[in-house]
Amino acid sequence: MTDYGQDLLFGTFVTPTAQPARYAVDRAVLADRVGLDLVTFQDHPYQPSFHDTWTLLSYVASRTERVTVAGNVLNLPLRQPAVLARAAASLDLLSGGRFELGLGAGAFWDGVEAMGGRRLSTGHAVDALAEGIGVIREIWTADRRGGARFDGDHYRLHGAKRGPLPAHDIGIWVGAYKPRMLALTGRLADGWLPSLGYLPGGTADLTDLNKHIDEAAAEAGRDPAAVRRLLNVGGRFTAQAGGFLDGPPQRWAEDLAGLTFEYGTSAFILADDDPAAIELFAAEVAPATRELVAAERSR
Amino acid sequence: MNYGHPVRFGTFVTPVSASPNTPVELARRSEELGFDLVTFQDHPYQPAFLDTWTLMSWVAGRTERVHLAGNVLNVPLRNPAVLARSAASLDLLSGGRLDLALGAGAFWDAIEAMGGPRRTPGDAVDALSEAVDVVRGILDAGDQTPLRVDGRHHRAAGAGRGPLPAHRIPIWLGAQRPRMQRLIGRKADGWVVSLPNLRPGDLRAGNKIIDEAAAGAGREPADVRRLVNIAGRFSPRRGGLLDGPPQQWVDELLPLVVEEGVGTFILMTDDADMMARFAGEVAPALREAVDRELPAPLPTAEPRDSAARAARRDDIDYAGVPASLADSAVEPGDIAYPRVRSTYLRGGAPGLVLRPRDSAEVADALAFARRHPHLPLAVRSGGHGISGRSTNDGGIVIDLGLIDGIEVLDEATRRVRIGAGARWKQVAAALRPYGWALSSGDYGGVGVGGLATAGGIGFLGRKHGLTIDHVRAVEMVLADGSVVRASDTENPELLWAVRGAGANLGVVTWFEFEVDEVGDVGWAQLALDASDPATFLEEFGRVASAAPRDTTAFLVMGPPRRGQPAVAQVMAVVDSADPDVIVEQLEPFARIAPLYQQQVVITPYAGVMATASDGDHQGHGEPVTRSAFTREITPELAAAVADLLRSGVVYFFQVRTVGGAVADVDPDATAYAHRDAGFSLIAMGVDRKRLDQLWDSLAEHFDGLYLSFETDRRPERVADAYPPRTLARLRGLKRRLDPDNLFRDNLNIQPADADRAVAGATGVNA
Repeated sequence: MTDYGQDLLFGTFVTPTAQPARYAVDRAVLADRVGLDLVTFQDHPYQPSFHDTWTLLSYVASRTERVTVAGNVLNLPLRQPAVLARAAASLDLLSGGRFELGLGAGAFWDGVEAMGGRRLSTGHAVDALAEGIGVIREIWTADRRGGARFDGDHYRLHGAKRGPLPAHDIGIWVGAYKPRMLALTGRLADGWLPSLGYLPGGTADLTDLNKHIDEAAAEAGRDPAAVRRLLNVGGRFTAQAGGFLDGPPQRWAEDLAGLTFEYGTSAFILADDDPAAIELFAAEVAPATRELVAAERSR
Repeated sequence: MNYGHPVRFGTFVTPVSASPNTPVELARRSEELGFDLVTFQDHPYQPAFLDTWTLMSWVAGRTERVHLAGNVLNVPLRNPAVLARSAASLDLLSGGRLDLALGAGAFWDAIEAMGGPRRTPGDAVDALSEAVDVVRGILDAGDQTPLRVDGRHHRAAGAGRGPLPAHRIPIWLGAQRPRMQRLIGRKADGWVVSLPNLRPGDLRAGNKIIDEAAAGAGREPADVRRLVNIAGRFSPRRGGLLDGPPQQWVDELLPLVVEEGVGTFILMTDDADMMARFAGEVAPALREAVDRELPAPLPTAEPRDSAARAARRDDIDYAGVPASLADSAVEPGDIAYPRVRSTYLRGGAPGLVLRPRDSAEVADALAFARRHPHLPLAVRSGGHGISGRSTNDGGIVIDLGLIDGIEVLDEATRRVRIGAGARWKQVAAALRPYGWALSSGDYGGVGVGGLATAGGIGFLGRKHGLTIDHVRAVEMVLADGSVVRASDTENPELLWAVRGAGANLGVVTWFEFEVDEVGDVGWAQLALDASDPATFLEEFGRVASAAPRDTTAFLVMGPPRRGQPAVAQVMAVVDSADPDVIVEQLEPFARIAPLYQQQVVITPYAGVMATASDGDHQGHGEPVTRSAFTREITPELAAAVADLLRSGVVYFFQVRTVGGAVADVDPDATAYAHRDAGFSLIAMGVDRKRLDQLWDSLAEHFDGLYLSFETDRRPERVADAYPPRTLARLRGLKRRLDPDNLFRDNLNIQPADADRAVAGATGVNA
């Protein structure tokens, strides 16, 4: 039983399809209107049927008022980290602090290579992500004197100017499943963003995965609670409860609150493009889950 | 010389990060002032600036009309393949407002400090050239082959192309030196240069290099727009270059357009007052002066470049496209062509797609088509036509998609005016707030025009009749270009004919429908065991025709697949919002055979239509289909269909239940005459000959056919579609209205034998 105590966040994971052009934008605007906290998009720059995620995030932030936007997760191998850091700061400034940085090490190397990117082994990709995070944090440290320097095997800075300073302390959320990535997450990240659908054992796997993160955080002298546990989830809204995240909104709320108590999950991102599901998630699941969690935490 | 580009004006706004809203507001102000373009410099190593791409994407969300471009984007720090997809995305999101201006990079210390490459001037030009190849290749989404660019600096190793942008994104390059200018002439669509950096004669010298390089690469100098960043100040007295009153600016910029061929001026200022003064006192006066000075006024639309013109067909008079249609027409070399060439089930390669916005423009399009009698002519509403061939190879397509208005004329009588280019999902969504619906087909992506001139066998049919049974009047353009109205009182014979044979007689642009009051409905999708297809079919026929009129059921079956259970899909609408009624009506269907899966929802009719995709059509090849009506599904017919499915020749077999309200209408009331049919049958296959053989052998079971789903081109099919009395009337009308058979790319009715005494008199009142 691990509840890290963070406020709960509810968000969407919308397919960034390029056709129709405004499909994802319409759903993001809906998410903003119905009061969700997050709008996230997957990032596969080698996939021509999708919009470029960075462009879409920036456009969506411009068309919304309250919601925070994030990649889920951005493909670091095809996004130059120093440029990404300034772009992130820029989007955070333009949006008044409504941006968080979801990052991944890359997985589809054929696609990355087809786009002119480097093919990396899994191990090197983890190292590269750690270096990328280092580069990004250096650029964001706008108040330190002197040019930013970083001498990595994959990424380097040779006295680059620092800044601009983001509008808020942008969180870096990492998509991770394997021990080395989980350790990196515990050491360096502000959030952990896996997809429930990729966990072979379902939610039960979270215990072991959390443990890796907690240990790495502690080893790095960090509070495990400094790493927010996010989760991409999917399910079905039906009149009668069928199973986990399969039933009426109240059933969902009980299931999600259970994840908060059991595994410390504090952000639930719904992978569903159906506007009706997005509305139900915001209007019924989110408040009911918050109520259950608040009640339990105040006991 | 002047290159014939319409003159455009832009601004050059500093992307300051210290007050991020300032550049956004200046961009919005530029748009308000009527500038055509807003540009931002791009120095990713400079934290005093916002990231230019992020800023452009943000500004796109806060503007409506103005184009956006980097001035110029730093290629050494931007992966060109990612940049190209980003450009396509921003172009799509902004509605075609993204232009690409690229630079080779200049501040190598800063680029290297960011972890980027350091390049010699020569390498930088080579790298930019490779980047242009990558960007162009990704943006060329009509090409299906993976992109390969094997450069020294930039590579694409089998990257997928796309997404397809909303407009043809020009690639402009910033350049001062001859090597780069030669690259522009060879590959680019524009030359961006800053006037303050130029010495006298530089513009002319650069133009000459570009023009020669263009000619050497088989291009034309006019393929390259010349864009000039300008700086100056407004002052009461005449001073140096661009330092004086607005008239001095006009006088100094005029020769740059007339003699040096500059097409775009980009004003470098962050001063909103200066922008306003330029927009108000320089830009319009300069445009006027240019038109006075040049032998002919400049075009208002961007001319097609030589590559686009090279893709034209030989036998179409492109220069003669009527002015009303020129700006919306799509040619094979246009970026929009992959979006419009094909239809839902058919691949196409038309030579010209005309997109009229009203009946007068349809008449213009038909006049153009009459001048090309040797070419196929397709008329398209939603592009789902099967017998109505709404694309072709090398011919003309009249695409009615822009005539898509939906307007309630009279709430009391539920009279609604709908454009032929609207889709049924839009219609259903628009009628929903009134508690109304209009029975259409089974798919919301289908267009109004095709269905409402053929029949319209839909999910509300047994209760509310065919779609055509709701048509009260039409506005229509005839073969001779006359625009007529048909209703009970005006040209009633034409209204009779339009309802079942409209495609043969003209182009309906607008329909007036009387729609029905329809509340929420029960929408069921059942998957049932069909391992005994003959028994299943027979039983379905019995249940579906015995069901009350509020229930209309369709059935889809396919060939048996090895190792998989044979499944039949029943889709049914019960026109009732009462769950008990819905369950009661569906139960007999669920009992036909073991039920594998069921989904039943209570939804507005709009919900049934809403699932249709909004994507572009990507059909390939030619659909191979047959159609038939039958009064009932006899055991013999059921057994024959089971054999047909087992043959493997048919991959899709659909049964649509009709009868009910459809049969209430007198067969002579509309050109759709098969009112006594109980079912419409559709078979889709791949092999024309084998399908025809098998289907022909079933003829004894059939009573005519529904023209929409028939692709057999043998002339007997026309007699199957129209009984003799109906056909005689139609041939008479065809002879009067379309004696030259302009509208023939459909289930074609031949004009009645010419009778010179009556030929020529249309008998229709315009």
